Amino acid sequence: MITLIIALLVGAALFGIGLYGVLSQTNLVMIMMGVELMLGAALVNLVAFWRFLHPGAYSGQMFFLIIMVVMALEMVVGFGMALARFRAKGSVEMEEAVELKG
Amino acid sequence: MILQTLAVAFFGLVAVWFSIVVFRTKSMVRSALALLGAMVALGLLFLALEAEFLGVLQLMMMATEMSVMAIFMVMFMMDPGGLGQMEMTHQKKLSLVAGIVGGLVAALLALLVDWGALVQAQNLDMPERQNYNLGMEIMGRSMLIFETAGVTILVSMIAGTLLAIVSRTQTTEGQE
Repeated sequence: MITLIIALLVGAALFGIGLYGVLSQTNLVMIMMGVELMLGAALVNLVAFWRFLHPGAYSGQMFFLIIMVVMALEMVVGFGMALARFRAKGSVEMEEAVELKG
Repeated sequence: MILQTLAVAFFGLVAVWFSIVVFRTKSMVRSALALLGAMVALGLLFLALEAEFLGVLQLMMMATEMSVMAIFMVMFMMDPGGLGQMEMTHQKKLSLVAGIVGGLVAALLALLVDWGALVQAQNLDMPERQNYNLGMEIMGRSMLIFETAGVTILVSMIAGTLLAIVSRTQTTEGQE
């Protein structure tokens, strides 16, 4: 039981740190790092649940692979946007991107 | 079992420490390397949790991903080494409160939920059997999900490339 709790607590800590990063950083790449940490927290929880609760259900590992795909896609789209923004404005600072406000 | 608990706790602490360093250092390159450290620690944590394939996958994928991230950091930043001590944060107090509350809620859920009977190590599949079963899951019941993920990756590669390349009209305007 204690191992599962430790793994879940690590996931909770990573989620909290990632959330802080997403909200506090002004640089697009740093915001993406926060998102990566939050997705990393989801990965820890998924592996812990698979290992300790349902090791026979491989849909848990499948879910892990899907989260990894989401991490890769976030990088691709994020860096694509960052490149476009950098080319247009010379910076990826989100404080300067006020024109994106609705 | 005790060794496993110790390994999970150790790699978990390393991952948390590295993820704190990500947002504490002024250097963007150090941030990317600290995130790489956190992801490597997570990969080792997965190995300690007896998910061998997922652990190795995490190590291989994150090593590449974070190296690319570090390269982009150097490309985009005027001061990637953080020598100018530029302030790169905003709404610090709100973010700190949100992060602590979010983390605490998740931690409380982990502590308060009754998880029932846990599966012991001897009832776990051997690594080669795990790989086989995951392959059968991907090629069987989850085939549609896996195929959708593949197509989504292709679409995002095309979208990412289109976003990144300079359009012909922009180039002509620039030359004029």
